[in-house]
Amino acid sequence: MEQMIAFLTDPANWQDQAGIPNRLIEHLTISLLAVACASAIALALGFYIGHTGKLQLLGINLANIGRAVPSYAVMVMLLPVMLGLAPVLGYDPQIGLRFLPIFLAMLFLAVPPILVATYAGIQQVDRDLTESSRGMGMTERQILTRVELPLASAVIVGGFRVALLQVIATATIGAFLAGGGLGRYIVDGIALRDNGMLYAGVLLVAGLAIGTDVLLSWLQRRLTPRGVRLATESSPTTAELA
Amino acid sequence: MRSTRRLALGASILASLAIAGTAGGGAIVTAQDQPTVVVGSDAFYESVLAAEIYAQALEAEGYPVDRAGLAIGARPARLAAFESGQINLMPEYIGFGLEFFTRGTDASEEIAAIETSGNAEADAQSLQSVFDALDYNATVLGVSAGQDTNAAVVRPDTAEEFGLSAMSDLAAVQDELRFGLPPECEANAPCRGALEDAYGITWPPAQLSALPACGAEIAGALEGNAIDVAWLCSTQPIIAQNGWIVLADDLETQPPGNLAPVISNELLDQIDGGADSVAAILDPISAQLTTDVLTELGVRIAVDQEDPEDVAAEFLAGLSE
Repeated sequence: MEQMIAFLTDPANWQDQAGIPNRLIEHLTISLLAVACASAIALALGFYIGHTGKLQLLGINLANIGRAVPSYAVMVMLLPVMLGLAPVLGYDPQIGLRFLPIFLAMLFLAVPPILVATYAGIQQVDRDLTESSRGMGMTERQILTRVELPLASAVIVGGFRVALLQVIATATIGAFLAGGGLGRYIVDGIALRDNGMLYAGVLLVAGLAIGTDVLLSWLQRRLTPRGVRLATESSPTTAELA
Repeated sequence: MRSTRRLALGASILASLAIAGTAGGGAIVTAQDQPTVVVGSDAFYESVLAAEIYAQALEAEGYPVDRAGLAIGARPARLAAFESGQINLMPEYIGFGLEFFTRGTDASEEIAAIETSGNAEADAQSLQSVFDALDYNATVLGVSAGQDTNAAVVRPDTAEEFGLSAMSDLAAVQDELRFGLPPECEANAPCRGALEDAYGITWPPAQLSALPACGAEIAGALEGNAIDVAWLCSTQPIIAQNGWIVLADDLETQPPGNLAPVISNELLDQIDGGADSVAAILDPISAQLTTDVLTELGVRIAVDQEDPEDVAAEFLAGLSE
């Protein structure tokens, strides 16, 4: 505990590349980037499955497989592939070492919760509502964006919360492959037997994860249309989706 | 017909009971006789292999063995487990273990005065005297015949481009080189100390990737051109396989990397005959672990992807023939 406070209060640990602000930015960058890219995939797929009801089996299985594969294994298996592709695709091999394996592993981790939340959120919209919208002459696109999406938004943001929480906590493993981020303190703390560094790293990761989650829970409440807020008390919560 | 079948069934049940009885009885006797050996090792293949060889050799002599600490992590993590009693037997690279204690920041003057000698037997004795001075409660058993030291390794194209053949050639071009070093290097005298103090590399190097020691990741990074200088184990098979250049340690910074079992005195106290009984089992094996053997067994694990357990078993079977 004393060692941890000593580490956190040492000004040297708050500057340069190995300082806490830079590690925090590195950690957030890779986490947000992975969740943003995962969202693009998961939302598109989730809208399609939720709106049309097609490909449900594929969606569920994809999500379950994604959840069952350990991120560390994904990362280590991707390393030789990403290094091998560097000369073929012409990117810097350093990116193939320090960024792509961990980024893709986090992408695979983030897709399932967002995908499940999206199609579950859209599917739980009352069929009578979509039918009557159709009867009013709304196009399919209008039904999705004006009826289904607002009603599902709280559940979808719940999926984001789960995804971002998991990614922020798991992105620490990138430090095993020379990655940056707060995981460096954990990996280096163990390697150097520097308990202050190790515990500070653990505290920072936990703090970042909880802080982000609190922020998103506020956003989740804000995004719920006021008229729906009372009615959605019966809808699936984040905990149920996770 | 029915009665004969029933008879056969009854006989087979009796027979299996008898077998189970003897086997179970034997196991119970040894469990009472010998304390449990909990082996631990570094996370890379060779250390795991050495620990597995010790484990199987002791099992063959009736010691119950728990492999809870296999591949636990680099020296600082492994020693933490050893000191807390979570493991009580581990392979140690003698010269490196000695430098870890003598060059550590909190080493007393008396201990800091102990030099590595370049001779494994002498270093093993020095390590034992360090343990005794620190009340470390550990005993160093016989050292292996062969050694595995650390080496700065480069690809031939890097060697040619920058004219590298020895480690002292690195300093002049250090800013252009991308270094791959294990994260524990920073607190490790034969690694950071050698690079910074002897070879004049500024710490940390301008372009540094922290990767697990002697593993597939750091070798892969060198192979994939993501780093230029990799801190590898000299017995790592991929070096010869890819025709990589091992930079000469021209200032002789690297201590002898002979392997020896380090065992906790608490465990020895519970064993009849103490260190001598364990040494009688493990020393003849260490004598057979030459550099060639270590390299050859390493190829089977790191290249052919064989299980360290099987490789250790076959090595031991070969010894008893």
